[in-house]
Amino acid sequence: MTLQLLEGGAAIAEAAIAAGCRFFAGYPMSPFTGLLEEMSRRLPAAGGVCLNAESEIEGVNMTLGAAAAGARAATGSCGQGIALMQEAIAEAALNETPFVVFNLARNQQDYFQATRGGGWGDYRTITLAPKDVPEAVEHTQLLFHLADRHRAPVVLYGDPLLAQTRVGVDVSPRDFGPLPPKDWVLDGTGGGTGRSRQVWTWAMGKATDPGPGPDGHWRAIAAKFDRIAELEARHEQAHVDDAETVVVAFGSAAKFVEHVVAELRADGHRIGWFRPVTLWPFPGAALEAATKGARNVLVFELNAGQMLDDVRLHAADRRAVRFIGGVSIAESGLSYGPLLDAPVIRERILEATV
Amino acid sequence: MEATQAWDGTGEWEVVVSGIGGQGIQLLAKTLAEAATSEGRHAMLAADYGGEMRGGPSKASVVVGAAPLRALPILPNAGSAVLAHHRFSEHVVERLRPGAFVLANAPLVDPAHLRADLRVVTVDAKAVAQQAGAPNALGFVLLGAYNARARLVAAQELEDAMTRLLPPYRRQHAEANIRALRAGADA
Repeated sequence: MTLQLLEGGAAIAEAAIAAGCRFFAGYPMSPFTGLLEEMSRRLPAAGGVCLNAESEIEGVNMTLGAAAAGARAATGSCGQGIALMQEAIAEAALNETPFVVFNLARNQQDYFQATRGGGWGDYRTITLAPKDVPEAVEHTQLLFHLADRHRAPVVLYGDPLLAQTRVGVDVSPRDFGPLPPKDWVLDGTGGGTGRSRQVWTWAMGKATDPGPGPDGHWRAIAAKFDRIAELEARHEQAHVDDAETVVVAFGSAAKFVEHVVAELRADGHRIGWFRPVTLWPFPGAALEAATKGARNVLVFELNAGQMLDDVRLHAADRRAVRFIGGVSIAESGLSYGPLLDAPVIRERILEATV
Repeated sequence: MEATQAWDGTGEWEVVVSGIGGQGIQLLAKTLAEAATSEGRHAMLAADYGGEMRGGPSKASVVVGAAPLRALPILPNAGSAVLAHHRFSEHVVERLRPGAFVLANAPLVDPAHLRADLRVVTVDAKAVAQQAGAPNALGFVLLGAYNARARLVAAQELEDAMTRLLPPYRRQHAEANIRALRAGADA
């Protein structure tokens, strides 16, 4: 295994290329810009295309087009730019076009955006929230697989620490097993045969070949997302079996919580941690099991309380749930404020458990 | 030179580098992390600096280990530091563990003002750089001096990493940088 010292954004770009990504379009926005820059440097040599789009709206729609033509394709921004992309992401979810959206966000305030659909219609986006750069490399490759497996747009939700920390990583390709053939792609091979294909949000079909129409199609889409929810929930946990207190966190914040909980364990506290690896599907059954004996279920996230809703929905005892996170933004607006710091998190946990 | 300041090659070793923009703080840290990576170590580099080119706070932390790292990108505490300037160094010093090894750039950093429980070694990096005929390479003097004591990577690996990181239009500085790294190690 050879390690390369790469900034997180560049590591994600390399992992995407290793996963077969051959089209990328986006618009610069900190802290996502490093990913776009690395893509523009590296994708052409890999036989791909990287475009600096006019805006995020063009970027995501070009990505949708490339994906409809069969390419492994991706776009990205930070939460503000992803907000602009929501219409296209909804269309892609409803017309079953797979691509990856990289949200290298400025903070954790995009949890609702990532997990509640965000556009219109009955859909969700599989969302992975890596805790550090090596895991982001794994998740990036997995996301291209999951997108193709389920024919759906999927999201990687990162942050400035993920985007800008340099870490030695192994970006060689991973194998996640076989995928269904892409026999639906609009590659022009059906042209002139009377059997040309469609990728259509409303699924009305053609006069000569009617589709199921919106009612049948959107029921099928909803059922598909129910199946994904059954199949793809992922989580990690430690020390929950005898824990009086379980701390729930995601992404980079979860890595800090893991560190603090290990310290508190060493000091004799009966405390554990739980981390949703997929924010959607939320690992609700696992959280319920992990919090069965807990008197305190503490939620730490860098926002005003968004994952908190999902924890309240799934904790074994909703009354045990308390919020110990909060909004904390650097003066620049581009990164976290002082709340994301191990000694501060330790204080908050201790204050909430006395 | 005290051998007890050296990394024993197990666990994780942290160094926080602090100074002001223009002293070569970021390049010093990047060179160290790059050298450790090419030696097959796991390394992490977390940089923290403002938009200013010169004079503003500049900080970076490097963690090196033999196995995948557990360290946080914002270190709650650290076992060593390189202090290139007294400005902005208080927050770095307050997070050092008792007994931490500090390489201080004297006289800009006055060891009398540092905590008594730290093991401080001073180097006048500016004077050493000038004597080595590398007046612009203060950061590499500090890196050479730090690494000679902490023994994180082979000296040759630092020189190779420095050379690799130089952009083409800066290649003419490689010789002076190598002299600075070596003079720092001997200082």
